[in-house]
Amino acid sequence: MTTPKRTHPLGLLQHIAKSFKDYWFLFILLLSQWRHINSIWFWGTLALMLLVFLIWPTLKWLTLSYAVTPDAVIIHSGIFVRHHEHIPYSRIQTVQRKQWFYLRPFKLEEVLIETASHDDNAPEARLAAVPTDVADAIDHYRHTAPTTTPTAADEVATPDAAAIPVPTDTPVLAHYRINSTDLIKFGLTSLIFIPFLLVLLGLYNKLPKSFTNSLIDDASHMALVMLIGGIVLVIIVAWLGAFLWTLTRYYHFELDREPDQLKAAKGLFQRNTITAPIARIQAIRIKQNILRQWLHLQTVQVLIASKAASDDDDNDLVIMPVIANQAVYQTMTPFVDWLPQTVPDLTALRVPRNWYLIRNAVLFVALPAVIIAWLWPHLSCISLLLVIIAVLQGRFAGRNTAGALISSNLLALQTGHFWTREVYYVPADKIQSMNFQQSIWMKKTQLAHLTVNVRHGNHNQAIELRYVPVTAAQDLYSWYLHRT
Amino acid sequence: MQPTTHHLPPRIKRIWGYSALGSLLALIVITGLLQLTYLYWNWAVWIPIASLVLTIVEPIVEVALIPYRYQFTRYQISDLAVEMQAGFIFQKRVAIPIARVQNVTLNAGPLLQWQKLTKVTVATAATSHSIEGLELPEAEQFREQIMRLAREARHDNA
Repeated sequence: MTTPKRTHPLGLLQHIAKSFKDYWFLFILLLSQWRHINSIWFWGTLALMLLVFLIWPTLKWLTLSYAVTPDAVIIHSGIFVRHHEHIPYSRIQTVQRKQWFYLRPFKLEEVLIETASHDDNAPEARLAAVPTDVADAIDHYRHTAPTTTPTAADEVATPDAAAIPVPTDTPVLAHYRINSTDLIKFGLTSLIFIPFLLVLLGLYNKLPKSFTNSLIDDASHMALVMLIGGIVLVIIVAWLGAFLWTLTRYYHFELDREPDQLKAAKGLFQRNTITAPIARIQAIRIKQNILRQWLHLQTVQVLIASKAASDDDDNDLVIMPVIANQAVYQTMTPFVDWLPQTVPDLTALRVPRNWYLIRNAVLFVALPAVIIAWLWPHLSCISLLLVIIAVLQGRFAGRNTAGALISSNLLALQTGHFWTREVYYVPADKIQSMNFQQSIWMKKTQLAHLTVNVRHGNHNQAIELRYVPVTAAQDLYSWYLHRT
Repeated sequence: MQPTTHHLPPRIKRIWGYSALGSLLALIVITGLLQLTYLYWNWAVWIPIASLVLTIVEPIVEVALIPYRYQFTRYQISDLAVEMQAGFIFQKRVAIPIARVQNVTLNAGPLLQWQKLTKVTVATAATSHSIEGLELPEAEQFREQIMRLAREARHDNA
């Protein structure tokens, strides 16, 4: 395995598919030229498409090769500019395996390797179609060499280590598999139907004008009830679409705790497996959107310094899609042992008066509300609605802000934004920095803002608790400043 | 080592003065351009007037706040952490444990170079925080100190 190998020819398909995904608009360009079939533009577009969809992916596939050595994964790539990338195992944050159903019979899969480097959004290594034992080998080397820092550019592998390692079965300490009831609950309470709704509305704009005009004509004859019925129908369609989508994405969700890493697998058409070392977890986030708050359900995610889960629900690696409030801690501690056993008391950092948060939210919408009411007096109900939403939002934020130091090295913080409640558990040594803010007016009211900065993906996740009691904030800040 | 509180070198006030002058010049240019839009494209007359008011007020406020800004901008280093403070009306403090420091960068624009000062940026895996200006030797000493402490305290996490 130490001599660079090319990925499987099916990987070429993957490259082509990616080109289609990125440059689909060229087809629209071609269609717009359809009438001038003899013009240079038409043929130019056609040539461009040939280049983009066939020649370029083929060259990309031909020039990409990889090797899994005992020290590092080595990737050679690039058509004009050659990249030679060494990824030492100790630097790998996550390994993600994606297997489309058509790759399964060939025992192939796509492998994405991520490190914590701040470089662009792309993963460090993307192997389009490689045999499944490649990821097994990477996994094996990660276990055997967890902390050794290999010397850079150590390209020559020792001959005895060059043999393909036999993937040993790592013991599974805890296992979870979603049952169909929970999966359905998760799908039904997902709020991703809102983007679906926007897509449907976008489609409405794409309909021919004559058609929409006749629709509006019809609508004006219809009663208001019918109109509302139509809107409800559209929402239901979007919701069902989102439900089915979530169902296929999280089909047979599984979580395994291995001695030093977490492994989450999910998906029907594309089986997506992510492994992340437990020591690299930056924080645990327990999240509830408004629907799940009503139903007392929660979602558990991990924050890691890698973009591996960027196409996951809300950009994070979900380790528990849906779970009842009272069962969260019991179920999660076998997987992440530093989580508390029971619901912790977070009253230390509660907001004493919601007024300031409500005031700020109202101030935020004040200008648009005033402008709307001034320019279009007949739409002033929208202004009123904006103000009401702002008040409720401020109240929600105030009621849900909480936090406390649970143990000498675990901090819990709760925030509420846009009717989403989030509880973060951050190990003290994963807090990158802490901000304390107070204005002179807040000195009188004995309040302060506290911000905890955690690495998340390729950026900073600032967990901000606003208008909390100054003594509690000060205590936490000085604990952080003076801890060894 | 006891944490010691440091102020920025007094010459930073001169830099802030010049940067206020810089904003004045930039605002004058913008006002001039807006005046042209009024003359040639018949844009509303209040746009250049508003811009003119801003041109006068903004640099005055900027200059007037320099002593205040200087007074309340401080930093301190202990064995465990770097702390930076700024502002009194809006007081901000940030704590960066030295074990979390990934790198320390010194950089200086033309104004700072001319005054032999340099800006120091302390970066963690998630955030970065700057001290606006330090004397060059002081900045280098700061960097050495942090990097030495960071090497000692390093537990590889990110």
